[in-house]
Amino acid sequence: MRETFQKWLFVFVASAFLLIFALSYYIQTDQAQKSAIGLIQLKISDAEQQLIAARGNLARIEELTRSIAIFKARAFARILDEHPEILQSQEELEKTRLFLHVDEVHVSDGKGILIASVPAAYKGYNMASADQSAEFMPALTDPDFALVQKPRAKGINNELFQYAGVARHGTPGIVQVGFQPRRLQEATRIADIHNIANAFRIGIDGTVLLCKGTQVISSGTKKLSPGPITQYGVNSSALRQKKPFTLDINGEEYLGLAMPFAEYTIVGILPKKEMYLSRNAIIFILIVVNLILFGVVFVLVSVLVQRLVISGIYKVNDSLSMITAGDLNEKVNVHNSTEFSSLSHGINSTVEALKQAISDAAARIDAELEFAKAIQFSALPRVFPPYPDRTEFDIFATMRTAKEVGGDFYDFFLVDQDHLVFLIADVSGKGIPAALFMMEAKTQLKNLAESGMKPAAVFTEANKRLCANNEHGMFVTAFFGELEISTGKLVCVNAGHNPPLLRSSDGRFSFLKFRRGLVLGAMENTRYHSHESTIMPGDDIFLYTDGVTEAQDVKGGFFGEDRLLDTLNSLPPETSPKESLSALQHAIDAFSADAEQADDITLLCVKYCSPAGKCLELDAVPEALPKLLSWLSFNLDKAGVPQTGKTRISIAAEEIFVNIAHYAYVCPGGKAFIAFDDKGEFVSLTFTDAGFPFNPLEHKMPDVTLEADERTCGGLGIFMVKNSMDSIDYRYENGHNILTFQYKKNRA
Amino acid sequence: MKIAKKQEADKLTLTLVLNGRLDTTTSSLLAEEITPEALAEINELVMDMAGIDYVSSAGLRIILDAQKKMNQKNGKMTLVKVNGPVMEVFEMTGFSDILTIERA
Repeated sequence: MRETFQKWLFVFVASAFLLIFALSYYIQTDQAQKSAIGLIQLKISDAEQQLIAARGNLARIEELTRSIAIFKARAFARILDEHPEILQSQEELEKTRLFLHVDEVHVSDGKGILIASVPAAYKGYNMASADQSAEFMPALTDPDFALVQKPRAKGINNELFQYAGVARHGTPGIVQVGFQPRRLQEATRIADIHNIANAFRIGIDGTVLLCKGTQVISSGTKKLSPGPITQYGVNSSALRQKKPFTLDINGEEYLGLAMPFAEYTIVGILPKKEMYLSRNAIIFILIVVNLILFGVVFVLVSVLVQRLVISGIYKVNDSLSMITAGDLNEKVNVHNSTEFSSLSHGINSTVEALKQAISDAAARIDAELEFAKAIQFSALPRVFPPYPDRTEFDIFATMRTAKEVGGDFYDFFLVDQDHLVFLIADVSGKGIPAALFMMEAKTQLKNLAESGMKPAAVFTEANKRLCANNEHGMFVTAFFGELEISTGKLVCVNAGHNPPLLRSSDGRFSFLKFRRGLVLGAMENTRYHSHESTIMPGDDIFLYTDGVTEAQDVKGGFFGEDRLLDTLNSLPPETSPKESLSALQHAIDAFSADAEQADDITLLCVKYCSPAGKCLELDAVPEALPKLLSWLSFNLDKAGVPQTGKTRISIAAEEIFVNIAHYAYVCPGGKAFIAFDDKGEFVSLTFTDAGFPFNPLEHKMPDVTLEADERTCGGLGIFMVKNSMDSIDYRYENGHNILTFQYKKNRA
Repeated sequence: MKIAKKQEADKLTLTLVLNGRLDTTTSSLLAEEITPEALAEINELVMDMAGIDYVSSAGLRIILDAQKKMNQKNGKMTLVKVNGPVMEVFEMTGFSDILTIERA
């Protein structure tokens, strides 16, 4: 903008400058011409005046000279009349000449022959012999005759000489005086038009020319050679008009003006260079002054505009850039003029409105994300422990979603009483589409697994179904494990997921790495292969998503597999899955510190406790009995105890447990621990409680021989246990009642 | 445990068909069937034990109670179709001496 403004300001200032220059040039040129013409006219007019004056003087001097000549001739005639003897003496004659103050005196006789002359050489000259002297011949007959001749050149000096003559008094003859008319000569010279030009200068190099016709006869400069004036590019008709014309004298231009005078033309000329001298000086000064003036105006206006407008606009622009870059808290604060105040206010209000709109939109999006999160979470089993009566395994899982909804999920379920399936997966992408794809993947996997398919077949089929319905090109990495509880056989399939960790019998975790298949949902005809291994009671399987290994600290470092391994290895083997996950989550939090969680962090841990849940913890209430019986039944089946034995042991267990439930604790909340042991030939059950010390074996046995009406049932249960089991033992240790009975499996 | 009741036409004999386990948690179901009111009109109580293969002391207590109630009103109580494991319990506890039992 500043450049544009300056450009236009420059154009304006330059135009103004050029206009003023052109106007001044025109006016000054015109003025210079006019004043030059005036000057020339003045000089010509002066020349004319002088010429007229000189001519008048000449006429008067001529007249005066004539009068004096006549007077002198008459005076000489009178002197001769009175003193004729003068004629006899050359000497007297000479005196008389001097007296008369003339150069020659001549006297003729009646026939015109000179009888006396000064100079004496003219004596005897016949006046009639020459035209000049013959003009005086009428004086011989006319006594009143008087003639003054015009001055003529005479002698070798060619000096002017004039003669005046009258008739002789008393006797016929001619009396003549001759003289050099010096004053006249001078006056003539002064009046001579040829000398006028020399006397006049116009300006410095200008002058006056005198032309006769087109011939220059006189000029005040030697630059002009005699000849026709037309050689200087002047049209002869221009001389007759009173308009200025141009002469080119030796390449230099002159302004000329002509004025006719008698048979002449007076021409005044002035070099144009000289004529424009003052104009050029004025124009030069004008240029300099204007340049300074316009420069100052340009700079001043530029600076003012910069200060008042452009810097304001830059400030506004800076603020707008920050706002565009996302800083909606930026305020525009330019208040150096009403307009900028108004603009600032307008922008600030707009940004406020924008902020409001964005926060509204953000709230809407947040609501949608919350909804997606709700979808994601609703699908996950989140009640722990999920199978309280199954002591063979312990399972725990957590998922902590990132700010944006990811597509992590986990799942676990019993496909039958002996097979636990657990899986973890990570759907590509984020947001609602990922959440929906996750739902589909989870549903398919569960349905297929529950239909009794083998793990590899579950993945192969689930992949097919996910591919068939996958317009968005989403995919999911997944790890699927199936644990046969009774044997510890673990069948795994991995579809591009992070390898899980397995805590083996030496107590240390290691990655369960085997050939991974392609991610689910990518290629329709992918076939998946399972990996089989057997895990031992006490082993942990740890599943996780890449949100764990790719958790970042503030410097951008990753949590990584090594740190994961170290963290898990630092936990003692008896740590429960819940505690393991909690410890790992703490480790990740400590690592990430203030860094924002970028991806979902999902963890799942299965602890394989025993093939048949050898330990059972129960609330010491009669209602817990079905759990006990179901657990016992499972264990007895495992141990291969026949039905008869199962019933006998179950009844015995019930009697002992009910006894604890009824009598061990005064306050509610007491527990009973039952441990099953298969010792090969025998099976044993141990009941532990922390209630009142009570040895049932010391209890009085009922009399089983009484008639019905005399019978009571007190002690009947213990009596049955004693009688049906092969051995029974009670001890009290560390505040616990511990009762153990054994039964021989194959007893009849 | 499930209990089905069968009343004979003369209304003097009540037959209870038991099915399942007669243990601590289920014995109360049987107890509710042999209240004095339920037994008031009858002189013979029959328990069909065909579906019972498990009786614990809690079950024995109810059976003994029923026997006593029938004895008091000079009635008769019979356990029919008693199978092996249950018979074992009755024998072990001496109940076989005081109950009228018909083995399966």
